[in-house]
Amino acid sequence: MAEYIKVNPMYQDRIEEVFQTNINPEIVLEFEIHENDFVNSGKGSAELKVTIKRLGVDPAIMRKVAVAAYEAEINITAHSRGGVMTSNIFPDYVHIVFQDRGPGIEDLSKAMTPGFSTATDLVREMGFGAGLGLPNIERNSDIMKLDSAKNESTKLDVIIFFH
Amino acid sequence: MTIKRYYHGFEIVKDNCTGCTSCVRVCPTEAMRVREGKVEIDATRCIDCGNCVSVCKYKALVPHPDPLEKIRKFPYSAAIVTSAFAGQFSENISYKEVLAAVKKLGFNLVIEESMITGFMVRLIREYVRENKHIRPILSSNCPAVVRLIQVRFPSLLPNLLLMESPMGILAQYYRQKIADEQKLEPEEIGIFNIIPCIAELTATHAPEGARQKLYDGAFSIKVIYNEVKQILNSGEKLDTDFESYDAGLAWTLSGVEADLVDCDDIRTLSVNGIENVKDVLSKVEDHYLDQYDYIVVRNCKNGCVGGVLNVENPFVAMSRIKKLTKEARKVEFDDSEISEMNRQDAFKVDPILPRSMMKLDPDIKIALTKMKKLNEILTQLPGLNCSACGSPNCYSLAEDIVQGRAALDDCIILLKQTKEEEK
Repeated sequence: MAEYIKVNPMYQDRIEEVFQTNINPEIVLEFEIHENDFVNSGKGSAELKVTIKRLGVDPAIMRKVAVAAYEAEINITAHSRGGVMTSNIFPDYVHIVFQDRGPGIEDLSKAMTPGFSTATDLVREMGFGAGLGLPNIERNSDIMKLDSAKNESTKLDVIIFFH
Repeated sequence: MTIKRYYHGFEIVKDNCTGCTSCVRVCPTEAMRVREGKVEIDATRCIDCGNCVSVCKYKALVPHPDPLEKIRKFPYSAAIVTSAFAGQFSENISYKEVLAAVKKLGFNLVIEESMITGFMVRLIREYVRENKHIRPILSSNCPAVVRLIQVRFPSLLPNLLLMESPMGILAQYYRQKIADEQKLEPEEIGIFNIIPCIAELTATHAPEGARQKLYDGAFSIKVIYNEVKQILNSGEKLDTDFESYDAGLAWTLSGVEADLVDCDDIRTLSVNGIENVKDVLSKVEDHYLDQYDYIVVRNCKNGCVGGVLNVENPFVAMSRIKKLTKEARKVEFDDSEISEMNRQDAFKVDPILPRSMMKLDPDIKIALTKMKKLNEILTQLPGLNCSACGSPNCYSLAEDIVQGRAALDDCIILLKQTKEEEK
């Protein structure tokens, strides 16, 4: 498996903590994402956005969460065989895990290049596939980790701090 | 802690309320509750959209415009007529006669909102071009939408066009002009709006972001319509030897503001109806509509002719205004003085502040605890969203319980189950 990780230097010291497996989030939201279901794609991130608003998170940070989650949801809809979005909410950050069912990303660094896209004609007809999804997610998250390989499933971790 | 009180353009007549919950169900911000059989409003959440007033069959929610006598308190008084007013009258009555009859009510001067439509287009284009770092710019013309953004979309407050509305600009300009011409103090002049909706009523008395006093009161189209009809029916001779500005009237209709502002370098979008507006604002939050430079967002379907204080059906009113605009003589309003005031930044408004209603608690840790409890309660509720408890739906009842404003046995279905188990 290849790995791509990007960390906002401000949160360098929190990496170990946030990737621990024995921590319990305060709230967990789970959302099933189906392949090519563009009609319902975006509902998971909309639900997360409302939850974040209810918690009183700063509006500018709320928008970062909304954009990153929306882009990732669209990615799974357009490029994978479907998957699950799990939003783990902690008192000072949200850790969203996007786990799909393949087919995996062949070249991670290419995938992170703005403008690069493997989107099909169907996806482009829906107005997506400009190759800005992953770079946009990267820009809006404090920690982003992408694990994938060809013919494997892809796991994307997006972490955004509230302060 | 100080609690800010918000002004609203309507009031509750508790004696008339039957507790039917019609209003509770149509409120777009879930501001209404029925408690102990009577309606209550959360003044922070209410955006004055008027939905509740229009569905109440029992006259328990009534607009409170100013009494018409108020104009006599001032040595000089002027009316600013919203363009929607022109659509209320049948076509055998000329619009000039209507305006002349308004003057007969006791005004020294009748000002038309439509006078500065051309000026508004230039002002908006200029603002959109100057603020390239903000996209999209959102129209601030509809006071209900401005309040919706304050309570539900505070992250979009910087996107609002921070300029006075046409009526605000006219009020400012004419107060000074009349004071100079008539040798009066500005406060001796009464400036009154004739308005189509509750939100404008609220905005007249409590304008958001205004840097100075703009208006002295507002009258609803309904009240003025009646008075004007009586004058027209009396057969009294009316002086119609003046210009009216019919060409700019269509601004009040949905879609027209966006069409007029749209040009080679400014792409616009027009949205109306509160549910559509909520949907689009959520998409703006997600940066999904950044390709638009200017978005016109209005609470009422069809634009201001859809406001609850109108008399005529909005579609009929719309058709009449279109006809007036089409047949209008080209009369230019001299806006050179207004343009000069604009160059001196006279029409800028202060940044609009949030009225966040979404937060469960100011402390995020407590908010998390409350949300867990809320989710727990939600699993116990039947999910019928029947409003019989007095909250709009099961989710908001769960929220009310968490906030200590309701109890689990307010749910009639649960109560029935408990009673049956007891038997």
